[in-house]
Amino acid sequence: MVTAEELAYGMERESVAKGPLEIFEGGGQVVTDRDDRQTVGEPFVDNPRVSARNVNVYYDEKHAIHDVSLDLGENEVLAMIGPSGCGKSTFLRCLNRMNDTVASCRVTGKINFDGEDINSPKIDVVPLRAQVGMVFQKPNPFPKSIYENIAFGARIHGLARHRYELDEIVEGSLQRAGLWDEVKDRLEQPGTGLSGGQQQRLCIARTIAVSPEVILMDEPCSALDPIATAKIEELIDELRKQFTIAIVTHSMQQAARVSQRTAYFHLGDLIEAGDTKTVFTTPRHRLTEDYITGRFG
Amino acid sequence: MQSTTLIVVLLALSAAGFYMGRRKAFQVSGNDIRTLNSLPSYYGYYTAMWCGIPALIVFSLWSMLDGRAIMAMATSSIADSGVSAQEMSLVYSEVLRFVSGSTIGEPQPHIVEAVARYRELQDTSNAALIVIVLSIAIAGTAFALGKIRRDQRVRNSVEAGVMVFLIACSTIAIFTTIGIVLSVLFESIRFFQKVSFTDFIFGLEWSPQTAIRSDQVGSTGAFGAIPLFAGTLLISFIAMVVAAPIGLMSAIYLAEYASARLRSYAKPLLEILAGIPTVVYGFFAALVVAPFFRNTGGLIGLDVSSESALAAGLVMGIMVIPFISSLSDDVITAVPQALRDGALGLGATQSETIRRVVIPAALPGIVGGMLLAVSRAIGETMIVVMAAGLSANLTANPLEAVTTVTVQIVTLLVGDQEFDSAKTLAAFALGLMLFLSTLVLNVIALHVVRKYREQYE
Repeated sequence: MVTAEELAYGMERESVAKGPLEIFEGGGQVVTDRDDRQTVGEPFVDNPRVSARNVNVYYDEKHAIHDVSLDLGENEVLAMIGPSGCGKSTFLRCLNRMNDTVASCRVTGKINFDGEDINSPKIDVVPLRAQVGMVFQKPNPFPKSIYENIAFGARIHGLARHRYELDEIVEGSLQRAGLWDEVKDRLEQPGTGLSGGQQQRLCIARTIAVSPEVILMDEPCSALDPIATAKIEELIDELRKQFTIAIVTHSMQQAARVSQRTAYFHLGDLIEAGDTKTVFTTPRHRLTEDYITGRFG
Repeated sequence: MQSTTLIVVLLALSAAGFYMGRRKAFQVSGNDIRTLNSLPSYYGYYTAMWCGIPALIVFSLWSMLDGRAIMAMATSSIADSGVSAQEMSLVYSEVLRFVSGSTIGEPQPHIVEAVARYRELQDTSNAALIVIVLSIAIAGTAFALGKIRRDQRVRNSVEAGVMVFLIACSTIAIFTTIGIVLSVLFESIRFFQKVSFTDFIFGLEWSPQTAIRSDQVGSTGAFGAIPLFAGTLLISFIAMVVAAPIGLMSAIYLAEYASARLRSYAKPLLEILAGIPTVVYGFFAALVVAPFFRNTGGLIGLDVSSESALAAGLVMGIMVIPFISSLSDDVITAVPQALRDGALGLGATQSETIRRVVIPAALPGIVGGMLLAVSRAIGETMIVVMAAGLSANLTANPLEAVTTVTVQIVTLLVGDQEFDSAKTLAAFALGLMLFLSTLVLNVIALHVVRKYREQYE
């Protein structure tokens, strides 16, 4: 649920220009020592969409994620930040079982999506991935036309019985991704011919075309220039009204701009989670403070 | 023998030139090689190139031309005595035979004289060649050494030399191809002077026996190539019907489903198929597969001849499986994982991902592999010689014996043949047609692949 405070914060954000960390002022009270790896803050929310409990991930013998418990609330953007190799992408990929494609990867713990354990043998991974969509770090449009890129998901899930229904899905998705006006005259041209930012918005449109409930974004802007990044950030803010979004990012400014809650990962541990404003202005863990003040990262 | 020694000496001189050039470079740099324009070894290569290359060029030109010049000089007295050009070529070959000592019998006096003169001139020429080549080598070395200065841009010269060498290599390959095509073309033109082009292209009957003596009966010869091309197409078609699905499916399994461990064993095993000599496939087809088909056909009341297109095509299909599977496996593996993740992330199943994303992305490479297999099948000879038979039937029935273009080329040229009869020359015409049809096939395929690429990349 969105708290009143979050709403107020969101409004405040609207009014302030999209600066980096300056939107938050005031110093924090650091309470937890560097060596303590217990999660501090508020990793849990009321009525979560996705809730992960005691998730451990192993690549062969390597223990990549240690006992992470974190909730993803309805219609919120959760940003996951942390230095490279801290396990934030791995955790994200657990949420729609994309780690199944990595042969050496083993996941333990419980991840509930709408109250059901997604790792249970009863769950079919195909509808799960349709409900929990994913946008990847590098734009990966299929080598097909723009139209076919969007229609792909609708076709494999049988969402449209007639051509006009498919047309509606394609147009609607492109419009929600803010790409319609740029590509409406060249839907038959290859999606790979678009610019990087357009390709990424195409991938987002492709994801929302199958009407997911949760969208996972793995550093969606890291391959893009600042203007394309700004467009995607606007889009994320817009999409929050309909979807629940988890975004991994290397840019703290981006996390501060687009998210309502932030989770800070460090070497496979979830160090701190909570309201974005709180995490950035009054971090409770020494490591979080070190990271957001740029002492390492 | 003598030229081999000369070349070895030249190489040794070039090696010496390399060290001299490098040492000179050290000297002019005052032992600080940073002041040089290029690394010292480049000065070495520069000197070695000036030593070896001009000398080698002179050497090869000389060797190419001296035989003819010496012959002309040795026989000039005979030529002056008013002998016709045709007789002169006889004189040339006779002189050559005596020089190499491969003839018994008493030569005519004017030949003896020419032979003696020829030997004398050859000795002079060889001596002159050694002197000239070695002095060019030494002069080149001296010239290069003299030019070595600090700011001499030898790196550029050496790189240019390397480029010229590479161009020469590719030119050799291209000109060899052109040469082969031209020789086939000229022989084919000779064939078409004897047999009309339309009879060859559109003729429905192939029976290449021509009369050797005028009183021979019943061998008028018919050179209609249609049955041969029909047979080739039939067998290649059967081969591709066998190989394309099996090869592609096994490639998909290997690339997408098999574990890395299984793949590391299965792929080389599959590639062993490509290493089996075609003659082994041939007798496998002739002694195992063809009789099996004949017997099975007999059981169900079909009349299968003991040499059938089906047997040859089937075995040929098995032979080309590795071409398709191995190449397709490579291109499928090369499709970026990001594309698979994208499709899986949208909730596509593995087979949907493969069918709708991976295979379309890999299609140009897969088509390439298929075409390689087709051209292998069209050009394949040994299996068809053994298993498909020699009778040029014009039929679409795979249970009958057919023959192919390559098989007929083999039978036309095996054994003692006269090289001006239509029968022998027909082999060249067939070869030309085969070459042209593969060429057209490749051009079409390239076009298709390029069109596909433009659309999607």
